[in-house]
Amino acid sequence: MKRWVIAALVLTFIPSSLFAVSAEEIVRKLEENTVVETSRVDGAMIIRDRFGTKKSSFISYSRGTDDMLVEFTSVEEEGMKILRTSDELYLFFPEAEETIRMQGAALKESVIGSDMSYEDMTGGKGLLSTYRVTLEGTEEVEGHSCYRVSMKAKSGNVPYYRQTMWIDTTLFIYWRVHKFSRSGKLLKNITIKEIREVSGRHVPVRMVLEDTIKGNSSTDFIVRDMKIDIPLDAGLFSLEELSW
Amino acid sequence: MKLYRIAARNIRRNKRRSVLSCTAIAAAVMGIVFFSAYLKGMQGDLKKNLVTYYTGEIRVQHSDYERYDYLNPLHLRIESFRELVREIETHEAVSLVSPRIGFPAAVYRDEETHHAWGVGVDFDVEREFQDLDSHLMEGRVPDEGRNEALLGVGLAKEIGVGTGDKITVMTTTMRRGTNAVTFLVTGLVRLPVGELNGAWILAPLDRVQRLVRMGDSVSEILIKLEDGASAEKTARELEADLGTEQAKELTFRTWQEGNTSYGFIKMAGMVYNFISLFFFVLASTVIVNTTMMVVFERVREIGTIGALGMTRGEIVRLFFLEALYLGVIGSGIGVALGIGITIPLTFTGIDLSSALQGVSFEVSNRIYPSVNPGLTVLAFVYSVAVAGLASLIPSGRAARIEPSEALRSI
Repeated sequence: MKRWVIAALVLTFIPSSLFAVSAEEIVRKLEENTVVETSRVDGAMIIRDRFGTKKSSFISYSRGTDDMLVEFTSVEEEGMKILRTSDELYLFFPEAEETIRMQGAALKESVIGSDMSYEDMTGGKGLLSTYRVTLEGTEEVEGHSCYRVSMKAKSGNVPYYRQTMWIDTTLFIYWRVHKFSRSGKLLKNITIKEIREVSGRHVPVRMVLEDTIKGNSSTDFIVRDMKIDIPLDAGLFSLEELSW
Repeated sequence: MKLYRIAARNIRRNKRRSVLSCTAIAAAVMGIVFFSAYLKGMQGDLKKNLVTYYTGEIRVQHSDYERYDYLNPLHLRIESFRELVREIETHEAVSLVSPRIGFPAAVYRDEETHHAWGVGVDFDVEREFQDLDSHLMEGRVPDEGRNEALLGVGLAKEIGVGTGDKITVMTTTMRRGTNAVTFLVTGLVRLPVGELNGAWILAPLDRVQRLVRMGDSVSEILIKLEDGASAEKTARELEADLGTEQAKELTFRTWQEGNTSYGFIKMAGMVYNFISLFFFVLASTVIVNTTMMVVFERVREIGTIGALGMTRGEIVRLFFLEALYLGVIGSGIGVALGIGITIPLTFTGIDLSSALQGVSFEVSNRIYPSVNPGLTVLAFVYSVAVAGLASLIPSGRAARIEPSEALRSI
């Protein structure tokens, strides 16, 4: 009896944080869910601006966190490809005799007029290696209970100095992301509208991205079909393959 | 002795005084003649550059284009432009019609990005419209149907390319996509406007239409008129007469409209007129002061000639004539000097390339002043008139002094 009383008293006074999940663990689980060995995505972008709406389609391949190849299949972007390897980003156009390496200020340009920049396509480094993360609390987003995690860059060499993510407490995918400049100005707003289970993982299949600087514009990213952990040709993510 | 002879003798009697008065008048008139020539030259140059490279004498665009001009809205285009060009060419006042597509270009070379401005043109028309052959420094004009381009010499130097090299140009398409093409540089042009030398890529219209995915359409049509034709009148007639449905969606704007550089020059003209007035007032002040000094220095003389029987009216007329002579001589010298400085510069020009470096202004690097006959004559007449009139008050006051009192003064 005495032992039970002592145990109850001890448990009452142990700090509750010893039982709560940490910000690092949340982000680690998020990345485990989102990073795949390989993938193939058949997708589309619906780009809205002051002049109207445009739809573009693409097929993208990825390998790990570094390699990605996007091939546009819509008529307006016919033949255009984007290749990412480690920290380099290359563009290919059928009538250009050289591939274009995007760097410096050019990375801030919009991808085919969307709210996504070429800079948004770079990275590949893990969030924990790039940002210091802090768990700020829990909130409900789009009807889902989420951890609100704030991130501050460890160095200045990132597209967004600060980010706030709302990460599902059960599924460990994000439902919303806000990206900020160093001065605290909101630059990008990402909202997940729909998720689907693919090969045991929950993946976003409809996402809205807004560039708040552009104003009066938004881009819907839609995943029509996705395959995960499929065999991909080793040479797929090479400059030679880009111009083939 | 006639008053005019007395006045002429009096001027010669005190050369120092006369030279001082003449110098003041001459300096003011010379400045006005030169600056009016410079401004006229600049205005003419600006008009020529605007008409040739930027707006034509009449510029045809989609009616919403100017509102979104800063976004380069290629979708606000002129479709079926060939039919429209044929209709415009039938107007008796129209000399040349140039369909164009302008687009922002990012040039990639040796992994560096250079920002430029691309212009798709019909080179058959453009050779005459821009007098390209006289500006071609090396190479040849591109052929239609080929991925070839002319570069401004400044841009070529910045990129580090010459005739025979290739450049890859990326741009935004009509539907806000992205596309790129590699051009062969067939030649370099040295255009009169420094800004264009450092930015322009001239490519065949059909290749640019393909690059920006515009189909068979253009973003603007520039029109040059026959000598003496009125741009305003012709623009209104074209607007009214064109039968195509699309013409109703278009605006026909003259080169003076919607262009801030020309508005700046016009404003500069008004400022210049104000400065001219200031010069005249300044010169008038000097003339008045000098004349007053002359009069008060010669009070005893005035008393003497008054005692000898010259009436007050004759005394005033005498001093008036003296001032008039000084005005004529000073203004004549000023006009001669002003024209003398201007004429050589009409051939050599004034090099503004250093002053205009980094400045976006549609004025050539070299300005050729042009004597403004009207303003030159006005400056002469005005100076003479001011000199004459400026003498009336002090001479009138001096003439009212009693001869006996005047003879007692020192």
